[in-house]
Amino acid sequence: MTSHLLALLVFSALVSVVFAFLQRDEPKARVQFGLKVFAGFVLSTFLIGWLMFPFPR
Amino acid sequence: MPPSRRSSLIVTACLFAYLVPGLGHLYLRQWVKGIVFLVAIGLLFGLGLAMDARLVLPTGWGDPLALLRSIAQMAMGLPYFIARHLEIGLDDRLVKSVTHEYGSTFTEAAGLLNVLVMLDVYDIAVGRKTS
Repeated sequence: MTSHLLALLVFSALVSVVFAFLQRDEPKARVQFGLKVFAGFVLSTFLIGWLMFPFPR
Repeated sequence: MPPSRRSSLIVTACLFAYLVPGLGHLYLRQWVKGIVFLVAIGLLFGLGLAMDARLVLPTGWGDPLALLRSIAQMAMGLPYFIARHLEIGLDDRLVKSVTHEYGSTFTEAAGLLNVLVMLDVYDIAVGRKTS
């Protein structure tokens, strides 16, 4: 897996699933919480990536 | 349940949870959670190894962060020690491939998630949580 994006998506998905099952008990709440955590991981990565764009080294 | 039996259940469940992610939940008959943790955390660790994670223990106190990262990996339990026994991730080279940092991060995150899973098992075993 040499794609940065794929690694990000796989990591975020697996961690989100674990967080959702640890933090919520109801199936619907788990799905909602898991999606929020997943979106948080992905969006914050893009945001931090763009913030670092002017400082390549 | 008598207190001695309850203590034995708590210790056994937490030990199982440490040894294999999800096994503590399976022991407490939390089937869905157990299987989800087994698959998700197992995949995270396995993918990390496939991406050339380093499982080498740091020597000395020169790099305390590396020591913390190794402890995080050890929290994975049996899979970590089996991988080390099979000499996976024990390459002397610091940089084995372009994905080695991702691999190490995956394995460390898997270990840290297993710590949270162990705490969840403890909460269920003592009766603080029902599921």
